[in-house]
Amino acid sequence: MSFREKAAWINLAIILVFLTVYFGALITGRIAHGPGAFHYLLFCAAACAVLKAILTFAAVQTTSRDGRTPADEREVAIERRSEALGYNVLVWLVILLGIPMHLGHPPADLMNFALLDVVLSALVVVVAQLVMFRRGI
Amino acid sequence: VAVPISNQIRRLRFEHGEMTQGELAEKIGMTRQTVAAIEAGKYSPSLEAAFRIAQVFGVGVEEVFRWEG
Repeated sequence: MSFREKAAWINLAIILVFLTVYFGALITGRIAHGPGAFHYLLFCAAACAVLKAILTFAAVQTTSRDGRTPADEREVAIERRSEALGYNVLVWLVILLGIPMHLGHPPADLMNFALLDVVLSALVVVVAQLVMFRRGI
Repeated sequence: VAVPISNQIRRLRFEHGEMTQGELAEKIGMTRQTVAAIEAGKYSPSLEAAFRIAQVFGVGVEEVFRWEG
């Protein structure tokens, strides 16, 4: 497995952890809206960044030399196609953000909906990358 | 996703001292995974990459790749 495919798996794991830990806490009501929620968001983001750094370091150490060469044309193509798909998904999710706005949700909720849009589009990018790495483009 | 282009890379590697995918990848400046994808018909290389592969084997590009569509 190339380093970039490993990086995609790492990103998938990080996104799923963030979705579970942060949005899981919001949905189940374990954290209340307000400054506490914002601090919890910062904590989750920092924890995910540290976790990603550790996993990426481990991936670099365990990847053979040919997996650490600069991205070649196929890897660049996979990156471009997946990001184009993720952008389109993000546009539609942002348009859908009008629904909670219309329903009169408070600003904190709207911020979380917007954050969820970004995370879901990132999830689409990573899943598309993994599918293309595995099945070809 | 299979592409309608067949290739003879596996045979040519075998005929050139059983060259590994990694060795071919190094010669053309790509990753081994990309060479494997090209060989399996899962990725159509650029024209430049196709010529580089043909150059490594010392043959014309039409001897390496063939349109099957």
